[in-house]
Amino acid sequence: MNTLSIRAFIPPLTRRCVPLQATRRYAVQAPGAPTLEIFSNRHKWQQKERAASNTETSRSVDYLRDEVASRLCERVLDINRHFPKVLDLGANACNIGRMLTLPSEDSPGQGPRAKRIGTLTAAESSETLLYRDADLPFNKEIDIVREVLPTSELLPYDANTFDAVLSSLSLHWINDLPSVLAQVNNILKPDSPFMGVMMGGDSLYELRTALQLAEQDRRGGVSTHTSPLADVRDIGGLLQKAGFNLLTVDVDDIVVDFPDCFSLMKDLQAMGESNAVLGREKGAIQRDVLLAAEGIYRELHGNEDGSLPATFRLIYMIGWKPAPTQAKPLERGTGMFSIKDYLEKNDKDAQGKE
Amino acid sequence: MPARTRPIDKLATAVAKCSTQSSLYGKCIFADYNNVHKNMCSTEFLKLKECYLKAYKQR
Repeated sequence: MNTLSIRAFIPPLTRRCVPLQATRRYAVQAPGAPTLEIFSNRHKWQQKERAASNTETSRSVDYLRDEVASRLCERVLDINRHFPKVLDLGANACNIGRMLTLPSEDSPGQGPRAKRIGTLTAAESSETLLYRDADLPFNKEIDIVREVLPTSELLPYDANTFDAVLSSLSLHWINDLPSVLAQVNNILKPDSPFMGVMMGGDSLYELRTALQLAEQDRRGGVSTHTSPLADVRDIGGLLQKAGFNLLTVDVDDIVVDFPDCFSLMKDLQAMGESNAVLGREKGAIQRDVLLAAEGIYRELHGNEDGSLPATFRLIYMIGWKPAPTQAKPLERGTGMFSIKDYLEKNDKDAQGKE
Repeated sequence: MPARTRPIDKLATAVAKCSTQSSLYGKCIFADYNNVHKNMCSTEFLKLKECYLKAYKQR
């Protein structure tokens, strides 16, 4: 009988205890509710890095971000104030910075839009995308500081640092929007605005429906190809929950026409806006589905001239950090005249004119 | 050496040659798009795919 004792391989009890003691840790309680993970941050970062490494293609698809950043900058001009320190959260390729160096479309002779802005801190998690345009001449016209964030969901800034926080087309990839907005509120100085714009609600509904119908017919089921997006209704609640005052939320649709749905997909990829939903199907989309989707897209949504429209719904939001000196709504019951009478009177006047 | 054509570009050019079949398939789905089930339009789709494969190989 050759029974092999395994006793020799087990370390004695005392030795086993030592590493246990050495690696003893404090019990840490996770703060707050567990956050829901919808998007893969790592994957999003990878997509942005990849897209930006091809500088030429990446610049050629800046049309949407430039237009949206430009519209956001016009809103900044509406506030008659100086902003010594401004944060651009999720800066992409510093589109806001570039748009700020251009004159306003309404008053081309007034000089650049950035005349009331001091330092612009552009924060973005993708380094390649952030530094893509660092050599272009506009960098000399504005005081811009680029900062790479380790993650897009944690803002490493002290409380009461910035006079304004801007954000253009990057909030729609954030998992924990309430937390990020609360952090933004924290880093703002009292009585300072947060102005953001994000993709929302019905963005790319044409592509979404075409792919859904194509998959339904070809494969008998649907998988996620476009992200779930926040709705206009949600934004007000989110801002309020984050502690902002005097909210303004409005919606703007930009419709871009594409020759076919493959160009749309290629452009989205070059923007770094490919699908990064955690529950997505891994691997490439089936050719059959693509083939079917193109036909359905053209038939369901196509324009008469043969081009395919793609709708981007942009939600603009403005919220102010509360301060004791801020203008407040009057107390209930202090109104001097009834708005009902005023509206009825106006209504009668209008009818009288007709 | 010319730049490598991306597969999606090849796909797009091939599909562009099959616009008739593609539109027929689209019309078939559109006719009952609230109630799409698997292989609802397979005859139209097979025609489209046949044309696409032919166009894809030509290049």
